[in-house]
Amino acid sequence: MKMRKEFIILLIISFFLGIAPIFFHGNLYIMNILTICMIWAVVAASWDLIMGFAGIFSFGQVAFFVSGAYGSVILALNFGLSPWFGILAGGAIASVIGILVCIPCLRLKGAYIALATFAIHMVLEPLIKSKLGIALGTGGALGLLGIPSLKIGGYVFSNMEPVPSFYAAMGIFLVSLLIIYKIIFSGWGLAFIALRDSEVFAKSLGVNDYKYKLLVFGVSAFLTGSVGAFYAHYVQVLSSRMLSFDLFLTLMVMLVLGGIGRFPGAVIGALIATFFIEILRPLETYRGLVFGGTVVLLVIFMPQGIMGILFQDRGLGLVKRIGRFARQKINWASSILLIFLRG
Amino acid sequence: MLRDLIEVLISGITNGSVYAIMAAGMTLVYGVTRVFNFAYGSFFTLGGYFAWLFFGLKFNYLLVFVSIIPIMFLVGLSAETFIIRPLRARKDWEILSVMVTLGLALFLDNLYLVIFGPFVKSIPSLFEGYVKIQGFVISIHDIAIVTIAISIMVILMLFLSRSRQGLAMRAVAQDMTGAEIVGIPKDRVFAYTFALSAILVGAGSMLLAPKYFVSPAGGFDILVKSWVITVFGGVGSIRGSLFAAFILGIVEAIVGFTFGLTWTLIAWFVVLLFTLIVRPQGLFGTEA
Amino acid sequence: MLRVEKLDTFYEEFQVLRKVSISINEQELVVLFGPNGHGKSTLLKTICGLLTPVSGSIKYNDVEITKLTTKNIVEMGITYVAEERNLFPQLTVLENLKLGAYNVNARQKEEENLAYVFELFPKLKDRTKQSASTLSGGEARMLAMGRGLMSNAEFLAIDEPSLGLAPNLRIEVLNQISEINQRGVSILLVEQSSPKALDIADRIYLMEEGEIAFQGNKEEALNGNYFKEAFLGM
Repeated sequence: MKMRKEFIILLIISFFLGIAPIFFHGNLYIMNILTICMIWAVVAASWDLIMGFAGIFSFGQVAFFVSGAYGSVILALNFGLSPWFGILAGGAIASVIGILVCIPCLRLKGAYIALATFAIHMVLEPLIKSKLGIALGTGGALGLLGIPSLKIGGYVFSNMEPVPSFYAAMGIFLVSLLIIYKIIFSGWGLAFIALRDSEVFAKSLGVNDYKYKLLVFGVSAFLTGSVGAFYAHYVQVLSSRMLSFDLFLTLMVMLVLGGIGRFPGAVIGALIATFFIEILRPLETYRGLVFGGTVVLLVIFMPQGIMGILFQDRGLGLVKRIGRFARQKINWASSILLIFLRG
Repeated sequence: MLRDLIEVLISGITNGSVYAIMAAGMTLVYGVTRVFNFAYGSFFTLGGYFAWLFFGLKFNYLLVFVSIIPIMFLVGLSAETFIIRPLRARKDWEILSVMVTLGLALFLDNLYLVIFGPFVKSIPSLFEGYVKIQGFVISIHDIAIVTIAISIMVILMLFLSRSRQGLAMRAVAQDMTGAEIVGIPKDRVFAYTFALSAILVGAGSMLLAPKYFVSPAGGFDILVKSWVITVFGGVGSIRGSLFAAFILGIVEAIVGFTFGLTWTLIAWFVVLLFTLIVRPQGLFGTEA
Repeated sequence: MLRVEKLDTFYEEFQVLRKVSISINEQELVVLFGPNGHGKSTLLKTICGLLTPVSGSIKYNDVEITKLTTKNIVEMGITYVAEERNLFPQLTVLENLKLGAYNVNARQKEEENLAYVFELFPKLKDRTKQSASTLSGGEARMLAMGRGLMSNAEFLAIDEPSLGLAPNLRIEVLNQISEINQRGVSILLVEQSSPKALDIADRIYLMEEGEIAFQGNKEEALNGNYFKEAFLGM
């Protein structure tokens, strides 16, 4: 069975992530970064599912993330819900919001959806800080502290012991990416991609098209909300500052860097971008400038993203070229070897 | 009570007149180029900062106004030519243009923060002083704002309906292929439309800044408001923007007065949702 | 006057034109027949710059125009009248016509051409202030043609002007086209099937599956069996 290159890339990434704790388990800083990185990777990949795959211009991803986080945390703090269920609950809440948003948007054109979801993102912060929000338990402008972390039996996950949290995050990371992979590369998914660009077929698909997009939106929101809840229980604090444009911009860089609509580009983008966030941390306020400028430059000069550069048939197709070169050399070497052995 | 209401109305009308200009710019850009400019709010802020700079150099009001126009023209022109035009050839231009304008917006907003700092800047008013009508106090500056804003709208509408360039813009908005067939240079029209929208938003900034200050964070508010007005009035319809701007300006003032400022943004969003569900083509629009 | 050589045009990955070569001489009225979806519109659009060919050449008065923009092509004297008409729906009839004269060469002649258009299409004169979206099918076709004439073109590429019209209107449209041709404008006309179109033509091409299947004049068409059977169903 021929494995898709996308799956192979995922395997490679997972492998290296999986063995990372062997080398870094003593280093709290790096383990923390890797854990957060996997969280962002899920958010980015989910966003790419909506933007690149389903072709819906949604900017509500951070809103889903935050909704899931707040949902789970409020339930945990006020009703004692276990964080494990909280993760699922967060996902469900985000998913419901996502579907409610998606339904009116399906009939609209790109820019409308972009602005509508963007407006949701903008409206969320005042909502959280409002009297209504406080009544619901959001903690208003101050946010929420002392969020309970994950527990298994008697063992409490904590920031001080990074390895269990790392693998918990990795578990969610793998499951989420597998779900996304399945959606894109299933029979239905491939048919969707093939027909999506052809307007004639898209119109004849009609209702099925809508249902599929709704499904994709719901799944993406669910995964993002779940991982948002995980994040909240991991860092144990939560506030509406998460809705600032910092995170937003970071996600954009991840998507554009990796390649929109080219799974698992978003994951690759997430890995690289997280790395750069840390390197650029000393820059403080200049960071937003660098990231914004990076998005603009990337879109203009590298719109196909890293995945596009590596795998495009026309143009560079680096991997193909390297592969061809390697094969030529191997053939050459083996023929020499044969001659040598025979003679 | 009535006094308060009248003052609220006046405030709403004043804001509404400026919103009209900015919504007109947005409806033009989207109607003609089919690109949604997420950086529109950042252009607004840019206009405000340039105005502040020029006032700092002791320019008088008229000189500032006149200087802002070519600067904003260049800003809009360059943005379209260097950032958006390269994307048009690609199949996925729509999503890329949305990403790039949003990236530009965030870049600019951060740039303002870095260069000018987080504190708001103030711009002097055109006129000081008040006028008393029937016992109501109206600031002369507000009257000036409404007058100037409406004049700009009138000039814009005349330009679009009488001049060859204006007609060409409307042609491109209504049927791009037809415009090509007739020999209209599409690319140039796109660039000029962007430039025009930048001028409009810059003018709006200058008019509103004395009352509401210039801050690096104000951009997205303006973006959302302009878009809601555009949708409510009908995309591509300048007349629609005019009506919608005044209506929503008044609504905003009333909501702000009754429920407090934090709810105004939510109110805009509710209007957007309402329009999209009940009448997606807006008041005067022709297509959803 | 216009020489097209070995044109290949694609629509996405699909090859629509295969090594198409045609030519139109000065003041000729050449008709391009062929079944729907076989590339006739694509050929016209490629000539007029709306589409770019992958290979081949288009020469107008011995000047290479293959890669020029539509704006430049219009300025050189070639205008396209689309099957979809592509009128400006919210603009008035008069505004549509005025925009037809947008290119530099047409501006001086605007008054003159406008008078000619109204002479040819009196119905348009009655409706100058009406917006284009309110016109009937036949009137819209007239407006599209009129707008094309406003460009002061020496060469008109007209795509299915009589489509969807009642038979008597169809004849009238083709008569008008013939009249325009008599006035000195070279015309490449695309038509589906029509004895009248055959009648007004100086020469004919038949396009099938993106290739030229037949070329000749009226007599050759009527005498040769291929054309008659394939096309006129005689």
